[in-house]
Amino acid sequence: MPEITYSITFYLMAAIAVAAALGVIILRDVFRAALSLILLFMTVAGIYLLLHADFLAIVQILIYVGAISVLIIVAIMLTRDARQGQPLGKIKWVAGIVALALIGVIAWGVINTAFYLSSTPPLEETVKPLGNLLFGNPGYMLTSEIAAVLLLSAILGAIAVIREK
Amino acid sequence: MLTVGLTHFLILSAILFAIGLFGVITQRNVIKVIMCLEIMLNAVNIALIAFSQSVAPVSLTGQIFAIFVMVVAAAEVAVGIAIIFSIYRNHESIDMEKFNILKW
Amino acid sequence: MIMEHIQFIAPEISLLCFALLIVLLDLFITQKRVLPVLSVIGAIVAATFIIVIWNTPPVGLFDKMISIDPFGLFFKLLILAATVLVILASHNYVLKFNKFQGEYYALLMLSAVGLMLLVSAINLITIYVALELSSISLYALVSFLKDKKSSEAGLKYLILGGVASAILLYGMAFIFGLTGNTCLTCIAEYVRGMPFKDLQEVPALMIGLVLIIAGFGFKIASVPFQMWVPDVYEGAPTTITAYLSVASKAAGFGVIARVLMTVFGLPVWLHNDWAMIIAVLAAITMTVGNLVAIVQTNIKRLFGYSSIAQAGYMMVGLAAMGLTMGTKENVTGGLIFFLLSYTLTNLGAFIAIIAISNKINSDEIEDYNGMIKRSPLLALGLTICLISLAGLPPTAGLIAKIYIFSGAVNMGLAWLVVIAVINSVISAYYYFKIAKAMWLGTPVTEEKVDASWPEWLALAACVVGVLALGVVPGLFMNLTTAAVRIFGI
Repeated sequence: MPEITYSITFYLMAAIAVAAALGVIILRDVFRAALSLILLFMTVAGIYLLLHADFLAIVQILIYVGAISVLIIVAIMLTRDARQGQPLGKIKWVAGIVALALIGVIAWGVINTAFYLSSTPPLEETVKPLGNLLFGNPGYMLTSEIAAVLLLSAILGAIAVIREK
Repeated sequence: MLTVGLTHFLILSAILFAIGLFGVITQRNVIKVIMCLEIMLNAVNIALIAFSQSVAPVSLTGQIFAIFVMVVAAAEVAVGIAIIFSIYRNHESIDMEKFNILKW
Repeated sequence: MIMEHIQFIAPEISLLCFALLIVLLDLFITQKRVLPVLSVIGAIVAATFIIVIWNTPPVGLFDKMISIDPFGLFFKLLILAATVLVILASHNYVLKFNKFQGEYYALLMLSAVGLMLLVSAINLITIYVALELSSISLYALVSFLKDKKSSEAGLKYLILGGVASAILLYGMAFIFGLTGNTCLTCIAEYVRGMPFKDLQEVPALMIGLVLIIAGFGFKIASVPFQMWVPDVYEGAPTTITAYLSVASKAAGFGVIARVLMTVFGLPVWLHNDWAMIIAVLAAITMTVGNLVAIVQTNIKRLFGYSSIAQAGYMMVGLAAMGLTMGTKENVTGGLIFFLLSYTLTNLGAFIAIIAISNKINSDEIEDYNGMIKRSPLLALGLTICLISLAGLPPTAGLIAKIYIFSGAVNMGLAWLVVIAVINSVISAYYYFKIAKAMWLGTPVTEEKVDASWPEWLALAACVVGVLALGVVPGLFMNLTTAAVRIFGI
């Protein structure tokens, strides 16, 4: 991809992502906020593509758009007063200052740090090496096992909490 | 300015993270709070993958990290929504400011 | 290669197997009393495995994912002990969960597995996943009563925990971005080789460090992430409150000490910086905890604030530990000893509270009036634990405070110790408020309060431990010094 196209695509994606994130907060109707969230998830997948993380982009769509968004929408449908939006809470000024300060500090830190940039070009195809890393030894085998236990405990916990007494 | 590099992605991630944090603090609807949490985690993932591409492109550590973040995010949302239903059964409402049995 | 190393994670694996066995058996058997027996057996089997591997030299396993060393093993035993005591104390309490008793024990054990992996993890990714394993089980456990208070507490815990772990992750992302690695020793190597003299020359490291301290601060309930504590402690099932206040906090300190000491321990300017952050947070944390605790009328809420204050004292030890890096002094075991003493003391107090409030169905301090007449032994046990929490002889609390404060004075943190001592005096006031109510108050009824035998057993174990640590501390001090020796240089 020529550099100018890359830049334009990035700025476009970034603008949509920020707008969608703001939409989640601003839109009064929770259902519309959820749709805005889905837009954000898809844009983030696009950003992953720009970063040469093709597998992650697919996973982002599958997990976030396919699973998490559906869960959230089901939750909205099943809770009655959720559809009517509510105004922001009382402490929005404090929160706004905190958020702006956070952006400022991180931007300052990022600009002033000389990260050690690798000159190796990114891998063209990431699925196979990722698979080897996740389930191989040496690799993240143990962590994957812990993540499996985590999913089990989430299932157990969610079922135990959600069922009637 | 025009050449997009690591810094640009990191600043985008910072902006999204801050929006998510702002939302978590100010929103009154619990489902929206959970959505804002997801925005924060997505922001972290952008930072991780951007770092992965420019700092450790071959070892892919950042991408692996991001995969685990997604796994955890999905589990957290599942438990979160179960708890929201449990609350809804008791309160018939999911407005944060109506939960005042315990002082926030 | 894998099979050779599997013995080192046998404690976690066996505990996990027993948890799964409980879930399966729960489907078939009607006699639910078998389940706690199984979970206690599981914990004992795990503890046996730990003792078997106790003397192996420190080794990193599974491509530097977890480390087997005295520090981690000590914390694992502490977590297992806390789990067993909480299970024993749940004997009557679980009846409130009706048909969900199996899930209760299984989730408790899964969260213990998470905490055990957390204290031995030496890779940022493993730390994060293990942390979330314990947290997610605890989110569900906090809302297990399913009434208004409990589910609200669960939601608050989930949201604040989610924010804290996002902040922690962001910090980890920055550390990873700066160093290109997630394994703690590799990061440490990079950090030690940095050609800088000041944190301001590497802003990304500073941001990462601050975010990581903030993120872990949630787990150990330090300011500014202490606000979940009182609500969650009040709303959660009392047994889970007890578990949160000891096991989760101990593991939090274990992991924060390991990360700060191994990754940011050297060069000297770096540990001076974070030790100062921790010291200032410690001063604020204990003062906030103690001042707000004074006005509390609900005993669970009071213990919530008290545990915030105790976290403040522990952070004094953490700061002192950081400052000893790179000096000729040995790393002090004060923090570890304090955690041991605090675990036994606070659990003892909570076991008595669980037994009492299960009978009188109230958590208000005024309902504890004249408890000495209704149940002399429970009141006595609770009083001994309160004495220890206030830091008076002949209990563990005094020795632990002397140990931690003298270490801090040695490292030049005298100003902090002065604040801590003033705080201890303030805290004595509200601890004795409870004791006074029990000994001098007039009981509302003469009805006796009794506990079941597992509760007595657990309470006795805690009280004996508290007194033993207070009377013969030497034995345990060697253990704690051995645990922190891995951080020496």
